[in-house]
Amino acid sequence: MRASARAAFRLSVNGGWHEVEAAPETPLLHVLRNDLGLNGPKYGCGLAQCGACMVLVEGVARRACVLPVAQMEGRRIVTLEGLGTPEAPDPVQAAFIAEEAAQCGYCTNGMIMSVKALLARTPRPSEQEIRAALRHNLCRCGTHVEILRAVARAVETTEVAPT
Amino acid sequence: MTGVRSGGALVVTGAGRLGRETYLRITGDGRVSAYNGHVDLGTGLRTALAQIVAEELDVDPADVEMVLGDTSRTPDQGPTIASESIQIAAVPLRNAAAQARHALLARAARAFNAAPEELQVENGEVFVAGGDRRIGYGALIGEETIELELSADVAVKPVAEHRIVGTPHKRLDLPGKATAQITYVHDVRVDGMLHGRVVRPPYAGRDTGDFVGNSLISVDEGSIAHIPGIVAVVVIRDFVGIVAEREDDAERAMRALKVAWREPPPLPDLGDVPNALTSNPSTPRTLIDRGDVDAAIDGAAKRLERRYVWPYHLHGPIGPSCSVAHWQGDGLTLWSGTQNPHMLRADLSRLLEIPEHRIDIRRHEAAGCYGRTCMDDVGGDAALLSRAVGRPVRVQLSREQEHAWEPKGAAQLMEVRGGIAADGSPSGYDFETRYPSNRGPNLALLLTGVVKADPQPSDMGDRTAIPPYAYDDMRVVVHDMAPIVRAAWMRGVSAMPNSFAHESYVDELAAEAGVDPVEYRLRYLQDERAKELVKETAERAGWAPRTAPRLVAEGEIAYGQGFAYAVYVHGTFPGTAAAQAAWVAEVAVNRRTGEVVIERVVAGQDSGMMINPAGVKHQIHGNVVQSVSRVMKEKVAFSDTAVATKDWGSYPVLNFPELPRIEVVMMPRQSEPPLGVGESASVPSAAAIANAIYDATGVRFRELPFTPERIRAGLEGTALPPPAKAPSRPRRRLLGQLTTAAAAALTTAAVAWSWHTPIARIAPPDPSVWSAATIERGRQLASLGACAVCHTAEGGAINAGGRGIETPFGTVYATNITPDAETGIGAWSYTAFERAMRKGISRDGHHLYPAFPYTSFARTSDADMQALYAYLMSQAPVRAEVPESRLAFPFNLRAAMAGWNALFHRPGTLEPDPARSEAWNRGRYLVEGLGHCSGCHSPRNALGAEKTGRLHLAGGMAEGWEAPALTALSKSPVSWTENALYQYLRDGWSPHHGSAAGPMAPVIEELRELPDKDIRAMATYLGSLNDAPADGDLASLAARLASESHARLVEGHEAGARLFENACAICHGADALAAPDAPAIPLALNSSVHSDRPDNLIRVLLEGIPLPPRPLSGSMPSYAGAYSNGQIAEIAAYVRARFAPDRPAWEGLEDAVGHIRGG
Repeated sequence: MRASARAAFRLSVNGGWHEVEAAPETPLLHVLRNDLGLNGPKYGCGLAQCGACMVLVEGVARRACVLPVAQMEGRRIVTLEGLGTPEAPDPVQAAFIAEEAAQCGYCTNGMIMSVKALLARTPRPSEQEIRAALRHNLCRCGTHVEILRAVARAVETTEVAPT
Repeated sequence: MTGVRSGGALVVTGAGRLGRETYLRITGDGRVSAYNGHVDLGTGLRTALAQIVAEELDVDPADVEMVLGDTSRTPDQGPTIASESIQIAAVPLRNAAAQARHALLARAARAFNAAPEELQVENGEVFVAGGDRRIGYGALIGEETIELELSADVAVKPVAEHRIVGTPHKRLDLPGKATAQITYVHDVRVDGMLHGRVVRPPYAGRDTGDFVGNSLISVDEGSIAHIPGIVAVVVIRDFVGIVAEREDDAERAMRALKVAWREPPPLPDLGDVPNALTSNPSTPRTLIDRGDVDAAIDGAAKRLERRYVWPYHLHGPIGPSCSVAHWQGDGLTLWSGTQNPHMLRADLSRLLEIPEHRIDIRRHEAAGCYGRTCMDDVGGDAALLSRAVGRPVRVQLSREQEHAWEPKGAAQLMEVRGGIAADGSPSGYDFETRYPSNRGPNLALLLTGVVKADPQPSDMGDRTAIPPYAYDDMRVVVHDMAPIVRAAWMRGVSAMPNSFAHESYVDELAAEAGVDPVEYRLRYLQDERAKELVKETAERAGWAPRTAPRLVAEGEIAYGQGFAYAVYVHGTFPGTAAAQAAWVAEVAVNRRTGEVVIERVVAGQDSGMMINPAGVKHQIHGNVVQSVSRVMKEKVAFSDTAVATKDWGSYPVLNFPELPRIEVVMMPRQSEPPLGVGESASVPSAAAIANAIYDATGVRFRELPFTPERIRAGLEGTALPPPAKAPSRPRRRLLGQLTTAAAAALTTAAVAWSWHTPIARIAPPDPSVWSAATIERGRQLASLGACAVCHTAEGGAINAGGRGIETPFGTVYATNITPDAETGIGAWSYTAFERAMRKGISRDGHHLYPAFPYTSFARTSDADMQALYAYLMSQAPVRAEVPESRLAFPFNLRAAMAGWNALFHRPGTLEPDPARSEAWNRGRYLVEGLGHCSGCHSPRNALGAEKTGRLHLAGGMAEGWEAPALTALSKSPVSWTENALYQYLRDGWSPHHGSAAGPMAPVIEELRELPDKDIRAMATYLGSLNDAPADGDLASLAARLASESHARLVEGHEAGARLFENACAICHGADALAAPDAPAIPLALNSSVHSDRPDNLIRVLLEGIPLPPRPLSGSMPSYAGAYSNGQIAEIAAYVRARFAPDRPAWEGLEDAVGHIRGG
């Protein structure tokens, strides 16, 4: 693989525009963490297998470890930080907190981002749909029971936009 | 609180190894800080400890600052292991809090002029019942410093008065975790911090033997010279690390750094655990020998000898290890996620040769680790790199390194001899267990040779080695042994495998005795609390009593229910009992496929006093999920020399669709002492599931994991075949295909034209003689010819040459085509340039190799040739020498190329075809001329010349990639249309074929410089070589092929299917493809999946596609680091069978992967 020269890229992250300089194939994950100082997305595998690094790109949950920054030029990206704060959490975050849906919490970012994207496209998912949507979000602590409860709560507390 | 700002404090301290250690501090402003040497591994310990302190002090748990695991602030309480934090490590904390309360109440009594018994406390404020006046703890301390010596003899609150302990309490850390407000060790950033990566030796996961620390041959730092921002490459014996300014550059350097290692010695065959463990040197240790075991077995009415096998497991934290170190000349600060901070400090002291008190370990939250960070290797890595560069360095292990090198949960072998008497009672229990483990010496110590990698046996195989049943004649022997691969503490330690044996065996005894298995256990259990737990769990689960397997079945699905009970005994023998647990597992077994679904688990637990019942329940859930995963799915694989499991694709863990229904039964024991709850509910898992499968099928399974292959084989009454290890055959060299006669033809023909006249050097022309328009036109033509793709070296200046082009005949180095007079083409006149382009003859008269596609370039018009010359001569000259090309005979004789030209080169321009459109003619000129598509896309003969006629553009090879046929001979399932070709050439991808990768990717980049009209013309010409139906028909064909592939079931590729489902389906599965901005094009349409050759699919798997041209596609990761040749071959075979079912299976895949990886 020939090394590509660094270039400047403009990304919209959590509502603000940022210009970063990096090699075009640099994973978005590194850019978010190191250039923008964000901690929500976590490095878990670098192979798109575990989901710890998930972010929303144009509202779709994506694995930031395999998103080259060059493909993010001009895109709207939202990280866990962009959803809410402990004082004013997003409904999905609030549901995870209320159901204690984390142990170590390392996978929590991906779980919440996955659920956020799921509810955006399917506001009233069946349990089967929820399980399928989280199929490739790995949790090693075994918090699956609490996470499913949190999703159920998030479904109840998320208002469905009128169509 | 009536907090008065004040400098005083009440401190409870005790004597420690390195000085006074603080347990509790209440400052004059009323703030409470509590200190514990253990850490919260995600289990909720922080909250439970805060509850304990809060209870004794009557404050809000949220107001207690818990400091955990920092070496300079917390007491040394050993590693956070064995679920002993609440049971053992919390005891001094509770005492300290009680002491503080007593001292403060004594002061308050004086202030209120009341007896301490009359005082009450609420939220840290003391008052007399009924009175209005309240005094806060802070005010009672004021400016004073009150020091209390930690006492073991202090009155703590009676359980009956507990209001906080024993009440479900929300975890204090979760709001921060759900909103990214917690600083994990991965998130620590220090001013001036650099990024480190390590490169590990090839003996992945091994820590014993002379080769450890002695295998490095050399490090080629030049191999990462092209990567910017490298600060240092640090080499200390087998420790190799890289420090860079940016993390992405450190990561690139880790993958690119060339390191030569000695081949490690072979491992024992760990696919055969019984043989490997019985052959491993060991020392027997008898734990109990009562009655007369041999006589009892001899006298048994029926003897049962059973063997139980446990595989190696991964801890598998979701976040690979990470640490930040800052070396300050004579001391070290380490930000760490270790669960064993004080032992790590001792290891680092040894590694760095500095005293322990100069090392400050600051413990941060990390990924749940289940024992893995007892051995926090990355702390050593970070320390060494920071010391080398004198700046803070953050080291992040890769997923592959984490999987490969973590000390595993050990394999274990349990053998039971025994029997039953005529009355069904047990008759002798002779238990032997083998557990190859140590206490995880820090890897940096071993790699640097500070600690010699000698075998270090440990004694940890004895956990719950003694069964809970009243076997009158019993002998239990543990064979202490050193590890074979790195192995140390993992959740449940040896108790989990030992209990698998005990609880499977007792189930067998019950079946032999014709007694219900729960009833049988109750007969021989000795502990009353155990019996109550067993009864309660069975009842709540709706246990169906039986005297034989029930064999309930509907069609091919069999249903079963199984029971197991276990107590987790930890610590040095005879150890301490933690919570005890019982399971009822319910399974559905597909008797044809061997798939087992765990439908329901009822887990009962006697935890003694529960500090936070919500936390206990959470731990039970976690243990059930994780242990079901371990029992059903998990097993580490090994190559001949190392750990071969390096990602989640090859080590799948339980996922959401597989989650069983879990019901928890918590025994009410609040008046009993608290018991550890971190591991207990895992321990009965394997036996409960095995016993359930027996109830469903009548077959006993005694080796994990219970994969479909194992169950199917067991149900057929046959053992699983050993994993196939195909011997790798030496691959026939391509050159061997070159016949002697052909070689002779070349050398003979060469006699005729062996040398050409040099063309005189000129002074580099002044670019101002050309118009800007000409130069611009030349620039586009250079892009069409993709000159820079071959003529630019990795990280080198554009067109300055030096790139090695691999050909079947050897390596050809592209020349410097910048106008440098000495090393480039600056001294070339137009005549010399044109001769080279049309005839393949260099200015000095020597022949160029046809890797330089002059056979195509010859067709370029004069005007275009002049424009190209103008552009090349207008570039900035770059002085760069180029290595000599190294070719095999006879191609190493440049003169022989004259013969080659005589045979194969047909110079001359293309005459327009008047019957065709202008666009078609233009397209042909671009494709067949400077575009030189046939250079890669036409097959070549034995002498490396392009084949012509029907085989023109019929598919060739380029740098080890297949360049597919561009004609109707294309293997693509959906034909190439003009529109598809246009999109592919313009954008680099086509929705019906895939994305440009390998050598085609930079070509697409170059083509971006061409106007649409030319791209359309090329598509028109290439489209005419195909006979495609209408685009609309093709769209419906594509949709049908994709949907059929999603539904297709493929038999006989289980290993490949498993890899695909856990590594590939995330982006290539039906769900991913249905999502907006789908990350992939359906594999059912992908050209590389349908080709006659597997090369492109293998290459994409090995090399990945770092920056695919399709917007928002994401990159395809490289699997070279994660997968063996065999695993890549399994995926390729499965993908072929599932997504190209009409094509024949590829032969010799594993060899092909080996060849491509090696070449």
